[in-house]
Amino acid sequence: MNIFPEAVSTYAHEMDKLFWLITLFAGLGFFITIGILIYSLIRFRYSPQRKPMTFRGNTFREFRWVALGMALLAFADFYVLYDEHDTWDKMMQSVPEEKDLHIAITGRQWNWIFTYPGPDGKLYTADDVIINEPNSTIHIPIHKNVVFDIRSVDVIHSVFLKEARFKYDAIPGRTITKWVQFHRPGKYELICAELCGVLHSKMRNFIMVESEEVFQQWLDELYAGTNE
Amino acid sequence: MATHTQSFWTKYIFSQDHKVIGAQYLIVGLIMAAVAGFFAYVFRYHLAYPDAEIPLWGTLDPRTYNMLVTTHGALMIFWVAMPILVAAIGNFLIPTMLGTDDMAFPFLNMLSFWVFFLSAVVVVTSLFVPGGGFDGGWTLYPPLSADAYLNTNPDFWKALFSGGSLVILALALEFASMLMGGINFMVTTINKRARGMSFSRMPILVWFMNFSVVTFMFSVGPVIAGALMLLLDRVAGTGFYDAYRGGDPILFQHLFWFFGHPEVYVLLFPTLGVMGEIIPTFARKPLFGYKFIIGASIVAIILSMVVWAHHQFVAGINPYMAVFFSVGTILISIPFAGIILSYVATIFGGNIRLELPMWWAVGFLATFLIGGLTGLYLGSNTFDIYAHDTSFVVAHFHYTLFPITFFGFFAAFYYWFPKYAGRMYNDFLGKLHFWGTFIFFQLFALPIFFLGLNGQPRRMADYTAFETLMQDWHIQFREIATISAILLILTQFIWLYNFIVSLWKGKRVSSDNPWQANTLEWQAPSPPPHGNFEVYPEVYRDPYTFGVVQVNGTKRDFIPQNEKLPS
Repeated sequence: MNIFPEAVSTYAHEMDKLFWLITLFAGLGFFITIGILIYSLIRFRYSPQRKPMTFRGNTFREFRWVALGMALLAFADFYVLYDEHDTWDKMMQSVPEEKDLHIAITGRQWNWIFTYPGPDGKLYTADDVIINEPNSTIHIPIHKNVVFDIRSVDVIHSVFLKEARFKYDAIPGRTITKWVQFHRPGKYELICAELCGVLHSKMRNFIMVESEEVFQQWLDELYAGTNE
Repeated sequence: MATHTQSFWTKYIFSQDHKVIGAQYLIVGLIMAAVAGFFAYVFRYHLAYPDAEIPLWGTLDPRTYNMLVTTHGALMIFWVAMPILVAAIGNFLIPTMLGTDDMAFPFLNMLSFWVFFLSAVVVVTSLFVPGGGFDGGWTLYPPLSADAYLNTNPDFWKALFSGGSLVILALALEFASMLMGGINFMVTTINKRARGMSFSRMPILVWFMNFSVVTFMFSVGPVIAGALMLLLDRVAGTGFYDAYRGGDPILFQHLFWFFGHPEVYVLLFPTLGVMGEIIPTFARKPLFGYKFIIGASIVAIILSMVVWAHHQFVAGINPYMAVFFSVGTILISIPFAGIILSYVATIFGGNIRLELPMWWAVGFLATFLIGGLTGLYLGSNTFDIYAHDTSFVVAHFHYTLFPITFFGFFAAFYYWFPKYAGRMYNDFLGKLHFWGTFIFFQLFALPIFFLGLNGQPRRMADYTAFETLMQDWHIQFREIATISAILLILTQFIWLYNFIVSLWKGKRVSSDNPWQANTLEWQAPSPPPHGNFEVYPEVYRDPYTFGVVQVNGTKRDFIPQNEKLPS
C-alpha cells in the first residue's frame, strides 16, 4: 500500500514533498499536544490531598507557553506557504511558452470531449478533430508540455488525473488553461471529481502517455479516420 | 418564579418556557439525526458492498445514492448540529447561567421553534415529492442544482414543489428561525443578567453562544441572496447562474461559502463553550486565559469572513487571489489553536476528576485536534489542488464536525443531565457509550484519509468503474469504514436506552450541584421549575474560582458565583 498513487508528472513529486512537510508539522503539533494532555491526565489525577495550581493565564509569564504554541503554528503555517509557492506558481499561474500540444477537454454529462488540433496544428480551426464518446482513450506524448483548455457544456465537472496530481474544475462559460508534462508512460484514468449528476461515478476516460513517435502514429491514424 | 397555571398545551406544546423549547429543539434535532444517520448507513453500506442488497433498504441506484448523500449533509449541518448545539444548548443554559427566569422574548422563542419545526417538515417532505428528493450535493452548486429546470420557461408550480426548491425553502425557514433565536440570545445576554453579573463574570459558554449567533448573523445575508437567485433560476426561468445567458455559476459558490465557512464556527463556538465549562469544573482549576479566549474568538470571527474562497482553489478563481485566502485560512488556525491550547493549559496542573463529562471533553480535544491539524493540508492552496474533492476532505470535515456536534452534545448531555432531569444517568452505560463512540469514530474516519490521499474522489456512488480505485486495500479500507460506521450508529442505542431509562428511573440527585461547579444554573432546583429560581441570585465573582480555599472554616475547592463571603 502506497499513500499516493505513482507520481508521473513533473510537479507530482513537489506535491508529495509538500505533503510530507505538512505531515511533519502537523505530526509534531499532534504528538506534543496529545502528549501534554495524556501526561496531565495521569500526573494530575484526582487526589483529596492534591492542591491544584490556580494560574489563570492573565500574565505573560503564565501565558507564554500557549503563546509559544501559537507562534510555532504560525511559523509552520507560513513556512508551508513559503515552501509551496513555487509549485503553485508553476501549476496555476503560468502556462509554458512552448506548447507542444494544445488540446481542449470539455466536460459533459457524462463523458469528456477531447478536441485535437487538425493537421494545421492550431486549435479552434475548422479541421479540429473531436473525440466524444464514453470510455475513449486519448493519447499524449511523454516529456512534452501538454496544455489543456478546460471547459464544460452543461454543469460543473472537474478534470482529475490523480497520478499527475492534476485537478481543475470545468466551469460552464469559462475556459481554464492549465498544463501538464508527464514523465512516465502508461494508461491513466481520467476521473470527474465534481458531482455532476446521476452517472457521475461512471464518467470515465483514459489518457495514454507514450513516446513521441507512437503518439504521432496515433495522431496520423486519427486524422486519417476523420478523412474517411 | 412564575406562578400562573398552565394547561398541557401551553406547558409542553406551545410552551414559552426556555427549557421546554430547548427540549423541543433537542427532540427534533435527534429525530433528524436518526434519519441522517440511517442514510449514512445506507450509502456507506453501498460503498463497501456495491452490488449487495442493503438490509432494511434494498438496492441503491446512483440517483438515490446522490440524494442520500446530499440529504445526509444538509440534515446533519442544518437540522441536527444547528438546533442541538445552538438552539437546544443555548436555550437550556443561557437564562439559567445568567440567573434569570427566561429568555427576553419568550413568545419569539416559541415562534422560532415552530418555524424551525415547519422547516424540518418541509425538508422531510422534499424527499417524497414527485421527481424525488434533491440530489445535487448539500452545497447546492448550480448549474447542477438548477439543471432540471434550466430553461427559460419552467412550469412554476411543478418547479416549486420539486426536491431542490423545497430544500431551499426549508433552509430559508431554518435561517429565519435561527435569526429569531439568535436575537433572543443576544438581548437576553445584554439585558437579563443577574445583579452583579458583569460581562467579565459571564460564563464562557454564554460568550461563545453569542459569538455563534453573531457569526451567523454576519454571514447569512449573502447565502440568502444566493439561494433566492437559485430558487428563481429553478422556478421562474431566470439565468443568474446560467453561463449561456450571462450568468456565472461561480457567483453562487462565493455567496454560499461566504456563509458556509463561518457556519463551521457557528457550530464550533457552542461546543467550545461547553468544553469551557466542563474542563475547569473537572480539572478543579480556573479556566486558563478567559479574556484571551474571548479576544481570540473575536479575531477568529473577523477572519472567518475572509477565508471563504479556500473552498474554491481549483474552481477557476484567479490563482493570484487564492494566496490571499490561503493566508487568511492559515491565520485563522492561530486563534483556534490558542483556544484549544488554553483548554489543555486548564487541564495541566489541575486536580482532575475523570468523570464521564470530562471523558467526552478530553475525547473532543483529541479528536478535534486531528480535524484541525488536517486543515493545514487543505489550507495550503497547492496541496489542496490534489486533495480537493477527494475523500481526504470528507475525513477532515468529519474529524471536525463529528466531535463538534456529537462529542459537544454528549459532553453537555452528561454534564447537565442531572440538573435538567433531576436524576442521574447510568455511569457504566455512559462510559461504554463514550468508548464505543470514540473508538468506532476513529476507525470509521481514519481509513477515509488514506483513501482520499490515494486519489479517491468523494460523492461517487461506486468506484467499480475505476480500476485504480479498486485495489484490495481500497476495498478493505471501505469495509473497515463502513463496519465502524455501523457500529458507531449502533453504539448510540446504548445512549438512547440510558437516556430514556434514566429520565424515568434514574437515581434522584442528592445535591443540586453534583459536580461542585460555580455557575448559577447549579444554584437552581433540579430540575429547574418554570421561572428557574426561587430567589434570584446575586453574583459576587467570576465563575471559575476553583482550588483549595478556606470558606467559613471548612476546606472546599470551589466558591459558587452567588456565594457571599464574610469580609
